[in-house]
Amino acid sequence: MMLVHYVRLELLRLLRDPGYLIMTLVSPLTMYLVFTNLDLGGGTGSDGAAYSMVGMAGFGAIGAVMTSGVSIAEDKPLGWIRQLRLLPLAPSQVVVGRALCAMVAALPPIAAVCLAGGLVNGASLSPGRWLAVVLLLWLGIAPLAVLGVGFGYLLTAQKAQMAGLTVYMGLSLLGGLWFPIARMPSWLADVSRVTPVNRYGELSWQVAGGHAPTLAGTLVLAAWATAFTVLAVIGYRRSAQAV
Amino acid sequence: MNAVDVRGVSKGFGDVRAVNDLDLRLERGRTVALLGPNGAGKSTLISMILGLRAPDAGTVRVLGGTPERAVRAGRVGAMPQTGRLIGGVTVRELVGFVQRAHAAVARGPMPSLDELMAVARVSDLAGRRADALSGGQAQRVRFALAVAGAPDLIVLDEPTAALDIESRRELWTAIRACAERGATVLFSTHYLEEADAEADRIVVVDRGRIVADGTSDEIKRRVPGRTVSVDASVLPDPAGLPGVVSSEVDGRRVRLHTTDADATVLALAAAGAVRDLEVTGASLEQAFLTLTHTEDPSGTHAGTHTVAEEIVR
Repeated sequence: MMLVHYVRLELLRLLRDPGYLIMTLVSPLTMYLVFTNLDLGGGTGSDGAAYSMVGMAGFGAIGAVMTSGVSIAEDKPLGWIRQLRLLPLAPSQVVVGRALCAMVAALPPIAAVCLAGGLVNGASLSPGRWLAVVLLLWLGIAPLAVLGVGFGYLLTAQKAQMAGLTVYMGLSLLGGLWFPIARMPSWLADVSRVTPVNRYGELSWQVAGGHAPTLAGTLVLAAWATAFTVLAVIGYRRSAQAV
Repeated sequence: MNAVDVRGVSKGFGDVRAVNDLDLRLERGRTVALLGPNGAGKSTLISMILGLRAPDAGTVRVLGGTPERAVRAGRVGAMPQTGRLIGGVTVRELVGFVQRAHAAVARGPMPSLDELMAVARVSDLAGRRADALSGGQAQRVRFALAVAGAPDLIVLDEPTAALDIESRRELWTAIRACAERGATVLFSTHYLEEADAEADRIVVVDRGRIVADGTSDEIKRRVPGRTVSVDASVLPDPAGLPGVVSSEVDGRRVRLHTTDADATVLALAAAGAVRDLEVTGASLEQAFLTLTHTEDPSGTHAGTHTVAEEIVR
């Protein structure tokens, strides 16, 4: 399976850059601990702790996948994307492989914030819910991982960083990862509900509260995932054009 | 079935026609040089053969199918003109990845990674980080990546540009080893002596068209001229001399490219301009300059167009 070889190679490169992996968890972890202890988060008690925990873990995961878009953009001037294009690898395999690597990079911030939530802030969930929350925080990042990958193929490193930062900060705020969208004006909350970031958080908030993920949320995420995949594949094909 | 079959292909960028209604067929198992000045369209042609760009008009077939299909079947290996190696991996990991990607679609047995690294002459670099190599070493690794899948067609875009003589020789040893296994090799180059020495066939490209195509000897022969050179201090106006199509000044000497050396020499003698006279046949370099209209800043090339047009016909 060619995809495995490619993922293995890119993971090797990722793991040999531990500074990058550490950077991705510093800001969500700090923000999580500061926000919750100044009581700026979603509420009080265990519920509030779980709400902020999911929000900040998701925030960290988005930061990690957007940063991996920047490293893709940095590979472009080296001719690496073109080199891949000249191998017997389908564009979709490369895009999926790179998105999987970005998802691996999202694991440290998710793990760090959830550990802090459980150990420091006393978020208490049953073992089954813990597992489901962490799993959905990780799987649910897939559409945004593909978006980050797409930025990497379509944009220069500098622009990929700007675009990534816009999603990281802007969509996290709009999507309700920093504070609940219930506190937003209702028109803004409506906008928020069509963003992939809000629906991504919703997956784990639902499960933490003992509910199943909503059908509407899953459909919104699936629609974005499709659009981002098309974008990323186009970007990949375009970025390899020049010899 | 040809290795490459290009028919009536054109490709433009804005107002520039990089490749203009070009036809090219490469038989399998030969080593072919694509020779031309900067901007002649070599890289654009190569990018279409590799399926990285689509032609505006015409068709490109590689090994009997579309370029994309040949690439996806692992039958094409390429070394683009520019590009550096990625960081975070060793040479062995990088070459191994490319080999495994090919092995997954290979139709026959593949050479082992060790064997492959030996043929590409990168065994000594196996444990080195790929982004920490010298220019010559990196180029050898890039070549190893191009041939890692034991491809039927190897496309090398200026493989030896910016390499020192030792590295060039080393790389050519590796390329020849692959050609001997039966692969078709298409390479572009600026180095005339390289085309002369390494290629079975030379295709000269200029302004998006093929202006000459044949063995090195055939191409030299197609330039009808001789070069008459004399001491510059005694030379009258070269424009009035019979047979002279172009001339250039090189230090104290003037080189006259002529289609009728006898008449030129007689006229020089009549004008009393014979000092250190020398008559030589066309070198591949002269053929190349004449065929591609390459501007020589010190010379006048009023007549080259007619010569080149004659040759094309």
